[in-house]
Parts: sequence; structure tokens; C-alpha cells
Amino acid sequence: MFLQLFRYRLKCLLRDRLLIFWTLVFPILLGTFFNMAFMNLNNDEKFEPISAALVTGGGANDAIFEQTVHQMSLGKDRLFNLKTTASKHQADQWLKKGKIKGYFTDGPLIRLYVQETGISQSIMKTFADHYRQNSSAFADIAKANPEAIQKGLLDDLSQQRNSVKEVNTGGAKPNNVLNYFYTLIAMACLYGSFWGNKEVCDTQADLSSRAARLNLAPVHKLKLFLAGCCADLLIIYGEILILLAFLHFILGIDFGTRTGLVLLTAWIGSMLGLTFGTFVSAITRKGENLKFAVLTAVTMAGCFLAGMMIGDMKYLVAEYVPALAWLNPANLLTDAFYSLYYYDSLNRYLINLAMIAVFTIVFGFGTYLMIRRRKYANL
Amino acid sequence: MPIFKLCLKIFRKNWSSIGVFLVIFVSLSCIFAFSYSQSSLSKGFTQERAKVALISKEKTPLTEGFRMALAKNADFVTLPDQTEKMQDALFFRKVTYILVIPKGFTKDALNDGTMKMEKRVVPGSAENAYIDSIVRQYWHLATVYAAHEPNLSETQIADHVKRDLSTSTPVVMHDQHAASADSNFITGYFNFVAYGLTIVMIVGIAAVFIVLNRQDINRRIICSPIHSISVNLQIFLAIIIFALFCWTGFSGLGIFLNLKNQITAPIGYYLLNSVVFTLCLSSISYLIGNLVSNRQALSAIANVIGLGSAFLSGAFVPQELMNQTVLKIASFTPTYWYVTANNRIAGLGAGNWAETKSILNDMAIVLAFAVAFLILSLVIGKRRRMYA
Repeated sequence: MFLQLFRYRLKCLLRDRLLIFWTLVFPILLGTFFNMAFMNLNNDEKFEPISAALVTGGGANDAIFEQTVHQMSLGKDRLFNLKTTASKHQADQWLKKGKIKGYFTDGPLIRLYVQETGISQSIMKTFADHYRQNSSAFADIAKANPEAIQKGLLDDLSQQRNSVKEVNTGGAKPNNVLNYFYTLIAMACLYGSFWGNKEVCDTQADLSSRAARLNLAPVHKLKLFLAGCCADLLIIYGEILILLAFLHFILGIDFGTRTGLVLLTAWIGSMLGLTFGTFVSAITRKGENLKFAVLTAVTMAGCFLAGMMIGDMKYLVAEYVPALAWLNPANLLTDAFYSLYYYDSLNRYLINLAMIAVFTIVFGFGTYLMIRRRKYANL
Repeated sequence: MPIFKLCLKIFRKNWSSIGVFLVIFVSLSCIFAFSYSQSSLSKGFTQERAKVALISKEKTPLTEGFRMALAKNADFVTLPDQTEKMQDALFFRKVTYILVIPKGFTKDALNDGTMKMEKRVVPGSAENAYIDSIVRQYWHLATVYAAHEPNLSETQIADHVKRDLSTSTPVVMHDQHAASADSNFITGYFNFVAYGLTIVMIVGIAAVFIVLNRQDINRRIICSPIHSISVNLQIFLAIIIFALFCWTGFSGLGIFLNLKNQITAPIGYYLLNSVVFTLCLSSISYLIGNLVSNRQALSAIANVIGLGSAFLSGAFVPQELMNQTVLKIASFTPTYWYVTANNRIAGLGAGNWAETKSILNDMAIVLAFAVAFLILSLVIGKRRRMYA
């Protein structure tokens, strides 16, 4: 009996094309738009050799500076893609056309010419500053201790020792664009609430004619409701799996190496979405439009606070209003995916999962209390 | 004018479906406006400042001198010495360089030891390269002084290094580029409006056509003693009033939110550009209204078109940060040309005719889209009426 109810409910639900659009097609489209808009964001902060020029022939040349600039323009880890010219006018033309970020003029006083302020120009200035600072230190030491010149002062000044080592921040790169996609999965899970809403509307006799018809059937109402919820859950989880597959295999979104836990999170997220929908639908006794409006508004507000529209928002909320971060289901789901990707330890992930489970149980039990043993004097 | 009145009645009835979206749009606009702080447009060259967290486990004259030297190019962010907190800050770019000076580092460095400072960075980033060179230079100079002037105390070394670091390269800055689009709130707002206007116009106007194209209502209009030209003119009038209402609301909100910022670009151009874009959206909505007959599908279509065109065209992310292929695809949408014109307006200097001409060209392209969509809608509309 249960299987029959489940099968028919599944068939009935799959015919709702509008809900399939909002819960499956819309997140996939949004993911595609995100990918197209954000694909270049991280490239912007990546260091690339700076297009620069050196103008030589301006009187007394500084051979060491020229040599240093040329040295820094060689090899894979070079600082500059260097052009050399004897004409300042030529360098100006390159600068105007945007072919170089700036140029140095050689001579007794090294100058830097730029067109705008930016990180490349700042690195160029820092490079020239360091050359001048080394010259100043050389003069200072040589004056106080002339023997230092014989003891390799020049070599020591020209060979910079590496005093910093990089500590690995964990297994994964701090790729902040990923958070947008994690909030998108959270949104898709919470949009699963539309199915939960439909379930309540189709089993509460005062909410739809279909529910009134079902209430006449000689079948236990809890069994009917549970069969429907199982069908809803199967659809939501299937949709989330399709979304995850699309994000990972088509758009190349990284979820880390713990695939099993990612799938588990998607399952718990689907349950959260379903129970959230049944709960809101059960407490809002007014029309279907209002239920949809409440579900959409709560989901979107939650996703906003989890960083869907402004990337920093998740961090700001966690930093300044931590309680809100723990009470926002969208943030818990986003943070679960984020923790799986970013941290080696599972502590934070497990806390998130536990909080999601608590929300699911509260919503599920709340729904049960509100829809059980309903009787209707008239319909 | 019964058709005109009917259109207005449908607009009024339809406000509730637009309401939820409007609340979201206005709230986001307000949040952006309040979080926006105008960057000062300095005339001269200023070095970039990176967000750095410096955690020093010892306090020596050199570490203090180092902190002061780094402060010239860094804005310090305070972070606890906890791995997860550091990782979070790095992921969300609250900080781009975290440097930990271990206990005993100064003594070890001055004695040519092997101890190293630890950094956590965004790998391969330009800010990493920038701050790295500044950090290394300070300790490089300190170790050279220690090696060649062994009698100097730590305080004296710090003083010498400070003096060396005070020398600076003169920078000559040629005529400065105009403010970029993302540094300008009003440009960002009018770009963002592309998203809001698209959804409101499509949901508002197409809903009218869904009603008017219903078979019984359509037949009733055709058999009424009103000339078809008059019917069309009444519908156009209603659309123009609705479009004007939306445009005034969105533009007014933008100008109101921008009151605290100084406007560097001519506001008239933004308004003209948005008027042209609103006209284009009217004809797109007219087309969609003639193609779609399901009211519930309308919201889905409006969202896909609104979000899709806004994401692809650079209404949310500045165009200069976007992929060129994506922008090429986006150039087949009017939103792209609307956003491009806004970005050009942001960089418009006084009396620059070449730039003004480019802006007018962009607007002309949006207008051409409007005419194309209108012709298409009229053809489809006529076919529908013929088979009604």
C-alpha cells in the first residue's frame, strides 16, 4: 500500500513542471550565470610579470641598475616583461597605448613614469626603492667600515636572503568564488521546501480540492503523508545530485576530496529543505501565494546572509553576529560545504551537520504536531 | 478609453507579484549604498596598501621598526593566532598576507641563522609578491648591517634601516585615467537597475498582454466598435505610463541613495541612458507578452532573462573583470550596451566629444534593439489576432 501511494505521488509530483523549473532548472541556470560572471575574478589578483620599459641613454647611465632590471626580467619567475628603448618619447607612447604599466628612466636619479595607480605600479616603485635603499646602505656601511667592501658587502647587498617561508593553509586554495556556488546549493536545498509546501497543501483538506478528495480515502493519514514526503525527498535529493554533478563535472567547481560527506550533506540538506517547507506551509494557513512568498523570502534572506550576493557577508555575519550565522539554515549548509572543502579537520563540519539535523528535527516534529488529527467541520 | 483603463487596472492588480521582488531590490540597493564608501580620487601617485595581519611573538627594536616600515604599505588587520580564523580571513580576503614572527627570530636572523618567519597567503597573488618584497627587504638590510657592522646594537641597526628605507623613488604620473566604473556608486547603481527594471517591466507589462490575449477578451476587443489603431495606441499609452512610473521610481531611488556622495559624472546621461533602456525593455516585454500565455511561467521567464542578462553583461560584476568571450556573447543583449554606456559615462570628461559619441552610439544600439523587438512583437501580435 505504502509503495503504491509512493509511486502515484511520485508520478503526480513529477508532472509539476513549474516546481521542477524552480528547484532544478533555475539553480542550474544561476550556476551557469555565476560561472560566466565570476570565472575571471580570481585571475585578477594573480601575479603576472609586469610589462615595463627601461629608457637608457639619459646621460650618465647606472650600469648596476640596468643589470638588475635585466636580471629581474629573466626566467620563469621574472618580475618584468621588459622592453628597452633609448627614446623617452617611445616609452611615453607605449604607456599611453597601455602596452606597459610604467617605465624607469636611467641616469643619476632613477625615476618611475606611470599613467595610473595600481598594484603593478606599486611593485615597480618598490623595486626601484629597494635599489636605492641598498645603495644608501652600501654608502652608509662603506663610510663607517671601509673594509666591508673587501669582505663582500656588494655581494651581500645584491643577494637577498629569503627570511619568509610559506605555511600551507590546508589542503585547498582559498578560492573565495567557491562560496557563491556553495550558497547556490544551499538555496537549491531550501527551494526543496516548495515540494514540502505542496505536500502539505495536497494533504490538508482545507487547502486544496485534491487534499479533500484524499481525506475521503480509507487510508491512514500519516501513511499517506509519509509516502508523499518520501517521494518529495527522492525528487529533492535527485535534483541536488544533478546540480552537484553539473557544478562539479561541467563547471569544474571543487568540493574537496571527501565525496561521501558531500553527498551526505546534500542528503541532510534535502531533508532540511523538505521539513522547512512542510513546517512553513503548516503554520501559514493562508493562500498558496503567501506560502511561496514566505519560503522564497526566508530562503533568499538566508542566502544573502550566507554570502550569495555579497561574498564578504558570510564572514561579516560570523564575525560580528555569530548567533545569526548558527541560526541561518542557508549559512549552515554553505558552511558545511565550505568546511569540507577548506579544512583538514572535520570539527566545524560536524557542528554544522548537527545544527542542520536539529533544525530538521524541529521542523519535522513541528509539522507533525500541527497537521495531526485535523478535523473539518465543513469544507 | 476602456482598453487604457483596463490596462491600468491590470497593472494595479499585479503589484503584489512585483512587490516581493521590489522589496528584495530596494533592500539590496540600500545595503550597497550604506556599505559604499567613496574612495578619494587623489591626483598624485599613491602606493597600494595590502591587508596584512602581523603576529609577532617577540618584541624587539627590529620587530617594532619592521612593523612601522610595513605600515607604510599595509593596513593591519588584527587576527587571533588560531589556524581556522586565519584561514577564514584569507578565504574571504579580509586579509591577503598573514605573517607570524616566531620567538627568537631577530637574534637568529642577525646571527645568520636559519629560522624563518611564517606567512600564510593567497598563493600566486600580486599582493603576495608585493608585500613579500617589502618584508624581505627590511630583514635583508638588517642582516647586512649586522654582518658588516657587528658593533651596532639592535636599536642602532633599526635606526640605520629606517634611514635607508626613507629614500624613495620619484614617480611622475601622466594624465590620470578617469574614475573606473566600480569606484562610482551611481554607475554601480544604474548598472544594478538593469536587473531590477528588467524583471519589473517584464512581469508588469507581459501580464497585461497575457490578459488581453486571452481568446474571449481578444475576440471581445476585436468585435467592439473601436478602431484597431486606437486599441494599439491605448495599449501603448498604458505601457508608456507604466514604464515612466517604473523609471521614475528606480532613478529617483538611485539619486536619493547617492545624495551623500559627490557626483563626478553628468547625471543627465545616466537618466537618458536608462530612459532608452526602459523603452527597449517595454518592447521586450511586449514580445514576451505575445509569446507566453501562462501567468505562472512569466515569473520564471522574467527571472531567467533579468538575472541572465545582468550577470552576462556586467551589471553585477564590473565588465573589466569579466571574461572576454562572455562579454562577446553578452553583446547580443541590450543590457550589455546599456551597462557599457553607463561605464563610459563614469569616465566622461568635460567636452570630450569622442567619448560622448561612443555613449550615444551605445544608446543607439539599445534603441535599435527596441525597434527590432517592437517589429517582431507587432508581427507576432498580428498573427495571433488573425487566428484568434
